[in-house]
This record gives sequence, C-alpha cells and structure tokens, in this order.
Amino acid sequence: MAVSRLKKAELYYHKSLSDQVAGILQESGACQIIGTEENSSAPKEMTEQLNLSSEYLADVRYLMRTLTPYFNDPVPALDRMLGERPEVSMQDLKNLSAEKDLKNLCEIVRNNEHGLAEVKLELSQAKANLNLLENLKFFPFQLSIVTEGTKTVKGLVGSVKFENLAGLKGALGDFSKYAKETELVISDYDEKKNPQEVYAGLIYSVDIEKEVLELCAKNGLSLIDVPAEFKDTAQNETEKLNLLISESEKRENDLISTLKDLASENMPDIQKLSDYYNSMAGRYQEMSRSLDTECTMLTRFWIPTQEAEKLKAKLEAISPEIELNYSDPAPDEEPPTLLNNGSLVRPFNILTELYSPPVYRGIDPTPLLAPFFWLFFGMCLGDAGYALVMMGTIWFVFRKYKKIPLGIKDFIMLFAFASVSTFIYGIISGSFFGNFIDSFVPILVPLKNSLMLVDPMTNPMQVLGISLLLGVIHLMFGLLIAAFDKFRHGEVIDAIGNDLSWFFLIVGLCLFGVGFGGMLPPHFTDIGRAMAIIGAVVIFLYAGKGKPGIFSKIISGFLALYGSTSYLGDILSYSRLLALGFGSAVIGMVINLLGGLAADIPYIGWVVAVIVIVGGHIFSILINLLGAFVHPLRLQYVEFFGKFYTGGGESFTPLKLSQEFVTVKA
Amino acid sequence: MELLGLSLALFGAALAAALSGIGSAMGIGIAGGSAAGVMTEDPNKFGSCLILQALPGTQGIYGLLIAFFVLNKLGLLGGAGAVALNWNQGLQIFASCLPIAIVGWISAIWQGRTSAASIQMISKKPEAMGKAIILPAMVETYAVLALLTSILMLMGVQVG
Repeated sequence: MAVSRLKKAELYYHKSLSDQVAGILQESGACQIIGTEENSSAPKEMTEQLNLSSEYLADVRYLMRTLTPYFNDPVPALDRMLGERPEVSMQDLKNLSAEKDLKNLCEIVRNNEHGLAEVKLELSQAKANLNLLENLKFFPFQLSIVTEGTKTVKGLVGSVKFENLAGLKGALGDFSKYAKETELVISDYDEKKNPQEVYAGLIYSVDIEKEVLELCAKNGLSLIDVPAEFKDTAQNETEKLNLLISESEKRENDLISTLKDLASENMPDIQKLSDYYNSMAGRYQEMSRSLDTECTMLTRFWIPTQEAEKLKAKLEAISPEIELNYSDPAPDEEPPTLLNNGSLVRPFNILTELYSPPVYRGIDPTPLLAPFFWLFFGMCLGDAGYALVMMGTIWFVFRKYKKIPLGIKDFIMLFAFASVSTFIYGIISGSFFGNFIDSFVPILVPLKNSLMLVDPMTNPMQVLGISLLLGVIHLMFGLLIAAFDKFRHGEVIDAIGNDLSWFFLIVGLCLFGVGFGGMLPPHFTDIGRAMAIIGAVVIFLYAGKGKPGIFSKIISGFLALYGSTSYLGDILSYSRLLALGFGSAVIGMVINLLGGLAADIPYIGWVVAVIVIVGGHIFSILINLLGAFVHPLRLQYVEFFGKFYTGGGESFTPLKLSQEFVTVKA
Repeated sequence: MELLGLSLALFGAALAAALSGIGSAMGIGIAGGSAAGVMTEDPNKFGSCLILQALPGTQGIYGLLIAFFVLNKLGLLGGAGAVALNWNQGLQIFASCLPIAIVGWISAIWQGRTSAASIQMISKKPEAMGKAIILPAMVETYAVLALLTSILMLMGVQVG
C-alpha cells in the first residue's frame, strides 16, 4: 500500500505562542489544517493578521502588475521554475518587510503611472489634431475666423465629395450671387489622380449666415469641427503643436525611464515580498480555522506518520505550554491522500494525481500502472534516435540546474524513464531517426538488422498481435486487481462473478484461439475451451442473481454476456500502440526522404538537407511526444482504471510556504 | 487509359492529405478561438492552451503520412519513376486512402470542439489539465483506428 498513513493531530497552545506555532507548522510543510465543523467564528487575532497581510499582498500585487512590463528580469522564468532562486530565510524576509515602505512606493508608482496615462492621452489628442491641421493647411487665413469669427465676418471649413465641388463653386464661388460677400478657398487637387474628396474653406459675412449654411448643406459640404484653441494659421498652429508633442514625448520618456528605474531598483525586493506576503496570507487563512478560548487555541491537522515525531520535538522546544496529541483517523473519517512511493515509481504519481487520487483506504494504482505506461510510451514513440535526443536534453537540464524542485524533477524523471523504453523499442524495431540508417549510413545496416526483433514496416501484423496481447495482459491484470480488492473487503461472490469470471472467459478464449491456430500444443485448446465455458456460465448465473423469476434471470444473463463486446473494443483499442509507433517511424522516414531529395539541389543542397532533417526531426519529436504521452495515458485511464479504479480521494495539501521567487532555507 | 490506375491512386493520396488537413485546420481553428478567449483573461495559460489546441492537429499528419505512403508505393518519390498500375490496383489504393481521409476530416473537427471545451475547463480549473487532455484524446482514437486501417489496407495492395 502506497498511500501514506496519516495521524490526526490536536494541538493546544497559549495565544501568545500562535505566531511561532503557525510558523513551525508552515515551515514543516507537512500539516494539512482541518477546518472546524461547528459554525464558530475564527480567532480574532488570526483574522486581524490575515487582514493585515492581505492588505500588504494587495500592494505587492499592484506593484508586480504595474512594474513587471518595465522590468528586465535578470532571471528567466524557466530558470526560476527549475530552482534558480535566491536562498533566504524567513527572518530575512521579515526584516525586509519591515524595512520596505510599500505604501510609499505604491504612491510613487501610482503617481508615475497616472502621469504616464495623462501624457499618453494628451499625445493621442495632439496627434489627432495634427492630422486635422494638415488637412487645413490650404486655408490661408487665421483659424480664429473659424473658431471665433469677428463682428462682421465668419468662416467655416469642411470636406466635400469631388463630384459636388462644381455645385459648391457655383453656389458660393466667385461667380455666384454671393460673390461679394463670400470668399471660397479650395484645397489643391490633381484632377488626373481622380480625387475622391477635397477640402473647402469659406469666409462669409455674418448677415448671410443662414443662407450660406443652407447652401453648404445642400451642396454636400460636411463641416469640420475645429477645436477652439486654434487661432493662428494652420501652418503656425502645426508648428506649435509639434513643439507640444515633442515636449510631451520627452515627458513620456522621462516617466517611462522613471518607472524602469523604480522597477529595476525595487522588483527584486517586491518579488521576495510577494512570496513573503503570500506565505503570510496563506498561513493566517489556514490558522483562522482554529478554535479558541480567551487565551488558548486549538489547531487540528493531518500529518504523515513519519513526520509526526519530528514536528512534536520542534513544537515542544518552544515552550512547555503546548499540548500535542496524535491519534489514528477514526473509521468514519476520510483523511486526505498522500501518495508515498519509492524513487522508481514516484515519478508516475503525477499520472494518478492527474486522474484522481485514491481514497485514503483505497489501492494506490501508481505502481500497477507504472510498468505498463513505461512500456506503452516506448512503443508509441519507438525510436532510438529520438530517445537519445530526450536523454541528452534531460542530461543537460540536470547538469545545468542543480536545485530543481522535487515535483518538477519527478516530472522530468518520468520522461527520463520513458526515454529508456523508447530507446529499447527503437533498437528492437530498427528505428533510428526513422530510417536514417538505411537512408544515409548503409554501413550500419547489418548491425541494425542484427538487433531487430520486430519489423513493423514489413510485418505489421506481428506488432499488431503483440499490441493486442499486451492489451489482454493489461486488462486481465486490471481484473485480477479488482478481484483482489473485493476479496480484501470480503466481497467474495462479487469478485468471482464480476471479475474472475471475465478473466476466465477471456483468457480461455485467447488460449482456445491460439491453440486452434496451431501456435500452442493442442491440449491448450481444451483447457481454453473449459475456462471459457466456466467463465461464461458464472457470468450468466451471476447476472441473474437477485432477479425475480426465471425469465428475467435468463434475459439479464444474456445481456451480461453481451458485455463481452466492450472487452473486444477495449482490446482493439491497444492497436494504437502499433499505429502510433508506426506513425512516428513513417514521419521520420518522410523527413529523411525529403532531406535526401533536398540534397540533390546543386551547391546548397546539403545545407537545405541538414535544415530539413534537423528541423523535421525536432518537429517530429515534439508531435510524437505529445501522442506518446496522451495515448498510453488514455489506455491507463479508460481501459485499465475502468476495471478496478475510481479514485475519488482528496489530495493532501499541506500548509506550505510560497516559494515562487525565493527558496526559503531553514 | 493505362494511366487511369496511377491517377486513381494519386486522387486517393490527395484526398487523404487534403480532407484530413482541412479537418485539422478546422479543429485547431475552433480550439484556437477558445484558447484566445481564455488567454485574454489569463495570458499565463498559453502553454496548456497550446497543447490542447495542438491535439486536433494529428489527423492532418496522419493524412500526410498516408499520402506519402502512397507516393512511396507508386515510386513517385526519388528518381526511380512510377510503377505500372492497372485501374484495379489504382482503385484499391484509392479505397485504402478513404478511412483516414473521411475519419481524419470529421474526427478532427469534433476533436477541436472537445479541445475548445477542455480549454474552457482549464480556464476555471487549471489543476484538471490531465482530464482536459484525455477528453479530446478519446475522439482521436477513431482517427488512429482509421490510420491503422488505411496502413494495413495499403500494405495489402500488391503493385508493380
């Protein structure tokens, strides 16, 4: 059993010790706090602390969000994830939080941010106005005539469609009846270029304003609204505006560089404080689920048995006024699940957790699925060359990064294990970067051929047979586990009727078929037939159990036997092992083929060939890795787990320190 | 008429690559729209969204694989020249291409829809990534089976 045994802890302590106790519980990273069942209110001290740290956390988050775009992080995110983080102690972080005036910094950053937003708004307005002025440059008079006008004269500007221009000229131009009281100016245009629209300006006597406006509207002149601040000529106003823009731009650059300085100066600290306040908020969030009286607190938590004594020693060291009691979980309690497997199986834990962890008293399927996943992955990727690339990459990562966090290390190890099976299957199926050896290094072909045990390219039926056989083994193993689990719980009848009967039927049919095909001595045919018949009879009888009347017993018996089609489907599903392995081999072959064709290009052929082959195989590795991970996983989840495993447990989630940007040393 | 066999075989290869390619393009497109929506809220999900978006892409590759398989069988790759093929053999190769052409096309679209839904799922529950990957992979099963059928059929056809 690889589910960790947990102890339930009840910890009584004086309130004055609560900070110390909370720190120890959190730094141990091994305690999952149990909430209170009663609707009692949270201890006041904890809620106060929680509010305080949440407030600081909000500041930190604001600063992170605002300054990150201006911060050139010296540590790449990938390095950080792989453990390249500064090491600090909680005391360092606490001192830093006391020194750093976050409120003040927020104020400064906020002012700069607002200033920047204002300047940006100004700039965008100014640029829009610049466009407008550009269009008004044809207008020779001061713009104040348009924006203000005088006692007797007013002006307007607008745009008019080219086909309406003649009409406008006729109505208000030099030869119209208003010629004396108006002055019409038209922007330059080149008739050859087929202009769509021209700009027009008009100065008119205020006496005829009404008529003028009517005529403008009638002739399709759409008026342009000129902002009131423009008084001088368009030319002069443009110059002024350009000056303003360059000033604003300078201000914008100043603000940005201020923000950049602020970021590079403060971000390292802010990142550390982000971890600190996240830890603090998490700590008091969890601790506020404790119970309290006037001066004592009671915190209850789950702890793995192997950690229990260590924690007890640490807690008792701070004060004698602490009482810590451990007890085993009661039968009606459902503790969380912590998977505990040896280093060979541990990397596979993540596969179980991705599905759903087992219940506390259930079977941990990880050691059971690990060998199959390992094998299936190897068959699906199935290329010795790709395996070498994986191994090389993993070796490089482990060499470069010495402090990789455990969870990520396990995930990498999963692929390291899988690369071994991939390598082995690649060798025995003769696949090295597809058919690289056949295509480019014929000298190695005899060696490759001498190591080959299966040949999916010329004899796919052989590999299909192996895939389906593996499927039968996998499924039967699942049935046996289910039967074992039921025996363990005393459900002997169910174990025989539900699981062992199917085991007999399917194994019997396989033996019968294989014996019949002449691949095994003939007496296997008889054994197989006998097993299949026993299995079928048991299935038939078990299905009728509890059904009233002989008739419904018979119906449900046949219906149960009809369920064998689902086993047929399950077994055929393993044909994907052939298909995916075949797929990666053929993609590799196609890449080599294209590379070979490219090599025929004169002079630069070999360069193109190398690019095609290297790039192609990298692509092939990525796409096939995805397939080789997903499909074997599906075989575990759907076909294998379907026989015996439902999960439904809750993962053990201890109170931990946040270590996104720093590693906290003890 | 002596080239009818070759034409039929090429028509099959074209369908295998084209239809499954169309399906994958649509599937990835559907999933991509969903991914873009999720990333407007949370750009950090790019990695997991990309994986889920890539899942319906395999059908196109399966189709390409069959197309190459056919071209190779016909001797059209490299300088060897096409093998002689009567119309019966051409029709057999054409038939062999149909499983991946049709199933690849339609399954990729449905896989794309499932991927899109899975992307929505991880936007709310990032820890459910494992389940989110498995759901679209359930759809892909049938494309894998079609690929297998096409391969086995092609291997059975005798040419030359």
